Amino acid sequence: MSSLTMRPCGDFRTSYKQDNTIFETKTIRYAAILSIIALCFAPLLVDSYFITLLIQISYLGIAALGLNILVGYTGQISLGHGAFFGFGAFASAWLNTSFSIPVFLCIPLAGFLTMGVGMMFGAPAARIKGLYLAIATLASQFIIEDFFARADWFSGGSAGSMAEPINLFGFVFDTDQSFYYIALFALVFMYIWGCNLMRSRDGRAFVAVRDHYLSAEIMGVKLNKYRLLSFGVSSFYAGIGGALYAHYLGYVSAEGFTIFMSVQFLAMIIIGGLGSIKGTLMGVIFMVFLPEALEGGVGLMKMTEWGNIPMVVDGLAYIKEMAIGLVIIGFLIFEPEGLAHRWTQIKNYWKFYPFAY
Amino acid sequence: MSKSTNKKLLLSSLSACVALSVSANATAQDSVFVGHLADMSGPTAFVGKVYADGVRDSLAYINANGGISGTKLEYETIDYAYKVPQAIAAYKKWKSRKNMVVMQGWGTADTEALISFVARDKTPVFSASYSGHLTDPTGKNPHTKKPAPYNFFYGASYSDACRGLVQWAAKDWQSKGNKGKPKFTHIGANHPFPNAPKAACAEYAQELGFEVMPPVVISMKPGDFKAQCLSIKSSGSNYGYIGNLGGSVLSLVKSCNTVGTDIQFMSNIWGGDKKVFEAAGEGIKNYIFPTMTPFWTDNVPGMKLVKEISKMSDKSGEESRLHHYMRGVCSTYFMKEAMEWAKENGGITGENVKKGMYVHKNWVPKGLEGVCLAANWTVEDHRGVNQVNIYQGNFNGGNVQIEQVSQVTLDRRDDWLGY
Repeated sequence: MSSLTMRPCGDFRTSYKQDNTIFETKTIRYAAILSIIALCFAPLLVDSYFITLLIQISYLGIAALGLNILVGYTGQISLGHGAFFGFGAFASAWLNTSFSIPVFLCIPLAGFLTMGVGMMFGAPAARIKGLYLAIATLASQFIIEDFFARADWFSGGSAGSMAEPINLFGFVFDTDQSFYYIALFALVFMYIWGCNLMRSRDGRAFVAVRDHYLSAEIMGVKLNKYRLLSFGVSSFYAGIGGALYAHYLGYVSAEGFTIFMSVQFLAMIIIGGLGSIKGTLMGVIFMVFLPEALEGGVGLMKMTEWGNIPMVVDGLAYIKEMAIGLVIIGFLIFEPEGLAHRWTQIKNYWKFYPFAY
Repeated sequence: MSKSTNKKLLLSSLSACVALSVSANATAQDSVFVGHLADMSGPTAFVGKVYADGVRDSLAYINANGGISGTKLEYETIDYAYKVPQAIAAYKKWKSRKNMVVMQGWGTADTEALISFVARDKTPVFSASYSGHLTDPTGKNPHTKKPAPYNFFYGASYSDACRGLVQWAAKDWQSKGNKGKPKFTHIGANHPFPNAPKAACAEYAQELGFEVMPPVVISMKPGDFKAQCLSIKSSGSNYGYIGNLGGSVLSLVKSCNTVGTDIQFMSNIWGGDKKVFEAAGEGIKNYIFPTMTPFWTDNVPGMKLVKEISKMSDKSGEESRLHHYMRGVCSTYFMKEAMEWAKENGGITGENVKKGMYVHKNWVPKGLEGVCLAANWTVEDHRGVNQVNIYQGNFNGGNVQIEQVSQVTLDRRDDWLGY
C-alpha cells in the first residue's frame, strides 16, 4: 500500500498521515499538478474572454472559499460576505493611494484589514446562532454598504476610488493575460492554504463546532474563539478576493457590493457543496459559466431567422435570469450536497464499473 | 442516485460547453461591431428597457438605411441585469471576439467599472449614466478622481440637471412672492446614482441662497416612505430633489400625498415620465422634472425620423414611447455621425470616433432637429449638453398633463467640470 496509485474499494487508512493527506491518491495529485500547469498555458490557447472568466472564477472562488469555511465548516451563517468582499476592494485601493504601499503588499494587508472588520462584526455574532446570526450578519452588510457610500476618505463616496494595477519589479500587470497569472497564483495559494487549514487542529475545531457545539465545548474547544476565528478567516478570504477584483478593474464603485452579491456567494457554495473545498471551486465555476452559457444560448437563438425578433430575445433574457434561480432551487431539491457530492458519485460509478451494485 | 440523472447532468453540461464555444464570429466583409449593454430584467429595468429599445431600434434603422456610409453595423444587445461581472464579461467578449469599436452602455455600475478598460482599449462608450464625474476627460479639474477620456453621454449631467432645477426653484420662490430662505432637501437612496449630484447640487443651492437641509434617504426599492415624508413635513422643506427612479418615486409621491407634505418635488431625469405619473395618481401635483428631448406627441421636425425608427420594433407604429426612448435614439445618432466622420478621416476606429465627437459645434444629428439638443463636446470638456428643459407634470384626474415651464442654460464653469 506504500505506492498508492489506485484507490482501494473501501476505507483502509491506517495512519494519521494517510488520513491527513490533501490528495487521496497519486493519480489525483498528478492530475492536480498537471491541470495547474495546463492552466498556466491558457493565455496562449484561449482568447481574453475566457481569460476574463477564469480571472472572475479566481477572485470569486477565493471569496467563496472563505464563506464555505464559515458556513460549510463552522456551521455559522453570513449574509454579509458581499460587503466584506467590497471592503477588501476598497481597503486595498485606499492603502495604495493614501499610503503609497506597493499593490502586491496592499492585497494581503487588505485581507488583514477585512479580517479585523469581520471579527469586529463577528464578535457579537459569535455568541448567537441560527436566524439571529443571519440577521446580525445582514446588519453588517447594510452597515458596511452605507459606510462605502458615506466614507469619502476611504471609498471616495459616490465617486468611487481608483485602484492601480499590480506592479512587481517594474512589470505592470495591467492586461488580462498578465493579471491572469496573479489570479491563478492567488487561487492556488489560497486553496492550498484552505486545505491545510482544514487538516489542522483549528480546522478540526471548526468542524467540531459545526457538528455538535456542546460536545465540542465539553472536549475543550473554545466556542467563542473558534467562531470568531472562523469569521476572521472567512473575512480574510473575502478581503483578498475583493482586493484582486479592485486591482483587476482598476476602479471600485460602491454599487456592486450589495446583498445580491452576498446571496450569490451563498448560492455558489450551496451549489458547489457545503463543507467541501473542491466543491467551492466547482460551484464558482458553475455560477460564472451559467449566465455566459445561457447568454450563448440566447446568441444562438438570435442567429436564426425566427429567433431574432425583440419579443423572443427579450423573453430569453428573462428566462436567463429565471434559470439561475431555477438551478439553485433544482440543486436544493435534487442535490442538496452540491456538485462535490455529485462528483464523488460519478467517480464511484466508474470506480466500481461495471459492478456498481 | 440513478444512472439517468448522471447522464442528464453530463448531457446538460456538454450542451452548455457547446453553447459557450459557439461564438458568432461570422464577420461580414465591411462591418463594424457595436456592443449594447442593457438592463431589461434588473433593478433599473423600469426605464432601462425603454432606453434600450431606443438604442436597438436606431441601430436597426441605421442598418436598414445604408449603415455608416455603406458600412454595416453589427451589434448585439446583452441584458446584463445591472450586474457588474456580467457587464465585464460581455465587454471582454465583444472586445476579443468581435473587435468592438464603440459601445452603447447603460448604468452607473457598468460604466464606472469599465472606465479603465475602455480608456486603455480606446473604445468610446456612450452611457446612459449621466454622472458628472464622467465629464472630465483630461483630469483638468483637481476635483476629478479619475479622468474618463473615452466616456460620452447625451444630455446634461445629473449635477447640471439638478443645478438647473435649483436655478428654476430660486426663480419660482421669488415669483411666488415668498420671503426668507427657501429650504432644499436631497431625497434618494444612498447609492452612487442618486448620490452623484448630491454634493454638487447642494453647493450650488447654497450659493443661490437656499438653506440646505440634511438629505432624506429612501430606498431604491418601492416601500412605505411615510416616515420620511413626515420628516420632510416637519423640516418644512420647500424644494425636494428626487434622486431615485421608477417604483421608488411612486411610493414617495403616494406616501407624501397621504401625509400631506407641502413640498415642491423636482426629480432627476429618470424619475419623471408619463408611466410614473399615471401610476402615482393624485400625488402628482406640479411635479417638476428635466428632459433632454421632446415628448412622443410633440410636433417637432425630428419626431418624423423617431417615429420611423420606432417602427423597427413596433410595425403598427401605435406604441407611444416614453421620453427616455428619444435619448437612446439621440445617443445612437451622435455615435453614428461620429463614426461617419471617422470613416472619412482614417477609418472607423475607437480613436477616430472619439475625434469625430469633437468636430462639430452646436451639433444636432441630421434628421433629429428638435429632438436632440445641440451638443458641444471638446477635448477637455465632455459636458455635451448644458441646457436643461424643465417640465411640469400633473395627474389631473387621470388625464396626465405635461407642460414646459422653463429652459435653463448652465454656465460651463471650470470648477463644475467632472463634478
